[in-house]
Amino acid sequence: MSDFKMKILVVDDFSTMRRIVKNLLRQLGYENIEEAEDGAQAFTKLKQGGFGFVVSDWNMPNMDGLELLKNVRSDPELKDIPILMVTAEAEKEKVITAIQAGVNNYVVKPFTGEILKEKMDKIFERLQAQR
Amino acid sequence: MEEIIQEFITEAEESLEKIEPRFVELEQQGQNTDLLNEIFRSMHTIKGAAGFLGFQSIVDVAHASENIMKRLRDGEIDLSKPLMDAILKSIDMLRLLLGHLNEKDGVEENVAPLVQELGNALKATMSRTATGDAPLQNPAAPAAAVMPAAQITEPVKTEEDGPEEEEESHMSGAVQKPAEAPAGAPEISAVSGVGEHKPNEIIQTAKDNIQKAQNLRVDVSRIDKVMDLAGEVVLVRNRLLNISNYFDMKYSEDPMSEILTESVSFLDRITSDMQLAVMKMRMQPIQKVLSKFPRLVRDMSAAVNKEVELQISGEGTEVDKTVIENIGDPLTHILRNSIDHGIESAEERVSKGKPAKGRIIISTYQKGTQIVIEIMDDGKGIDLEKLKMKAVEKGLMTEEETRKMSDKDAIDIIFLPGFSTKEVATELSGRGVGMDVVKTNISILNGYVEVSTVKDAGTTFKISIPLTLAIIQALMVEVDGAKYAIPLSPIEETLKVMKKEINNVTGQNVIVIRDKVCPLFDLNSILGLGLNGHDDFEYKYLIVISMGDRKFCLAVDRLVGQEEVVIKTLNGLDSTSSYVLGATITGDGKVVFILDVAGISRNLLGLSKV
Repeated sequence: MSDFKMKILVVDDFSTMRRIVKNLLRQLGYENIEEAEDGAQAFTKLKQGGFGFVVSDWNMPNMDGLELLKNVRSDPELKDIPILMVTAEAEKEKVITAIQAGVNNYVVKPFTGEILKEKMDKIFERLQAQR
Repeated sequence: MEEIIQEFITEAEESLEKIEPRFVELEQQGQNTDLLNEIFRSMHTIKGAAGFLGFQSIVDVAHASENIMKRLRDGEIDLSKPLMDAILKSIDMLRLLLGHLNEKDGVEENVAPLVQELGNALKATMSRTATGDAPLQNPAAPAAAVMPAAQITEPVKTEEDGPEEEEESHMSGAVQKPAEAPAGAPEISAVSGVGEHKPNEIIQTAKDNIQKAQNLRVDVSRIDKVMDLAGEVVLVRNRLLNISNYFDMKYSEDPMSEILTESVSFLDRITSDMQLAVMKMRMQPIQKVLSKFPRLVRDMSAAVNKEVELQISGEGTEVDKTVIENIGDPLTHILRNSIDHGIESAEERVSKGKPAKGRIIISTYQKGTQIVIEIMDDGKGIDLEKLKMKAVEKGLMTEEETRKMSDKDAIDIIFLPGFSTKEVATELSGRGVGMDVVKTNISILNGYVEVSTVKDAGTTFKISIPLTLAIIQALMVEVDGAKYAIPLSPIEETLKVMKKEINNVTGQNVIVIRDKVCPLFDLNSILGLGLNGHDDFEYKYLIVISMGDRKFCLAVDRLVGQEEVVIKTLNGLDSTSSYVLGATITGDGKVVFILDVAGISRNLLGLSKV
């Protein structure tokens, strides 16, 4: 059911992390992956359109993951894009804030390809069910 | 995988480099939330990525360090010296760990004691803070506030075991009915408020960011390969220029010859542009080196109980990668000397009417084809008489010699091998093995150091280094039928002199240039090719070379012309004794030695008494 042609945006300020996440996504079969260095850049890219999914880090300069999430949810064009938030263990307490702001799911660092797949599958299943 | 690890090492090292000076800034400015945030984020990110790659000791150290930073950022504790020391130690440890990864030496560091130390430092600070203003720091209150979060996140931890449904319902519940979320209501209203006015501003900043983001990480060896090839192209271009000149002269009527000249001169231009572009690829801001100095100055001045403020300007100046790699040690040494010998103790400074805090200014700028780095302190200056005395005492020169010395020459005593003015070698400046090494290191970079000093006002070290090291403009000269290349940058002028214009003062040949006496040396004898002075010449060509404040002439048989040469290092060649910097291939396809003028100057002027 996964659409491997779907354009995914990976947002993280640390390029090693972007690369790791990108590699995991590729292992899962996704090919159309783009990167952004922070929330602000991500938002601009998203506005250009065509993205079906966002994997975003939380802690970033300029615009952090939560702000990005809020901005996306309050943007009429972008509000339905599913977002998976990557967090560190220490930030678990913040997860509730993210959930209230409309994040679709979150994943705790470090994670494997399988965990990522599970999270993504869950998000898409839920979206399917809602439609 | 290997590539990712490599990238991680580079990126993590860069992050550490970036945050280290921030700590010193913090120490000076006190709590600054932006700074703290930046530092926290870097540490956090390193931890996150290390977690993925399975570098547990990095995770452990970063985690312990991040714990402290998080509390600093959230204002739970204040920065103190013990905390700072512990954090700086953790940065050192991370560097070390990254170093091991990079070397792949498999060495395991025991990080447990450091992690413990970090934990203890935090605990000590926390307990102080807690007793200080207990009501504010009541741990029970925040814990209660986080409770709802705990309820939701709890099931997630065990999601593999099954209670998925519960988690899902919690999640969707929160998403669909945000208003009911207990602690969430204020958050939500904040969301819509933020969402309405912010996006436009954000897009604005995002545009700037995109400009910045167009970076590509490339392996240095690839750039060096391109550099190497560009060098080869330059050599071929030089040959082609030669050939086209020949055809231009011989077959000037032939239209094809004109086309050839045209094409070659086009190639000439493009090659120069390409060279510049490739050179730029290797350039990095000197900040890479300078960023470690605030910390260094902090540690060093603390070690000798002095107060020193470091100011850095021009850190964005770009220099060749080789310069970045080699300039760190000499700069460190000069800084150490300034702090140890230059800057006075606070009492002494106050008694002289100076501010108690000493100041060192490092400024970098580009001047023509040179990069200039100045290190200026406002200390006591160098006592020249004392220098001279020491030099005589150590048997480095005679009293007679020191009397004749100009002040400028006297300062250079500090660069003599094995010279140190402090009676007791301190831990900082070491045993006087320093300053001559500074000079050597800088001349390896084809540069030179000048020192100027004013009693009680301070000392300035001025380092000049050519912009690029791989391709240089050179003057081609001929001696005894052999061609040599002399780097153009230190050459001031060239002269043609008659034999009778050359005088001899106490065994040293000199020439008077515009009323100034300048020592003259035969390149022939310097290179050990022949004895000084074939007497059977009518006139000689002189190359006037100025290294810093020193000036001398080299006599050659013929000046051939100016050429852009690519320096090829010669393996197994001792450039200090042979005066040869490297070799190049000229336009006519011959291998020619490039002379090390800095080395020649050092040796000759050490001997000369003029």
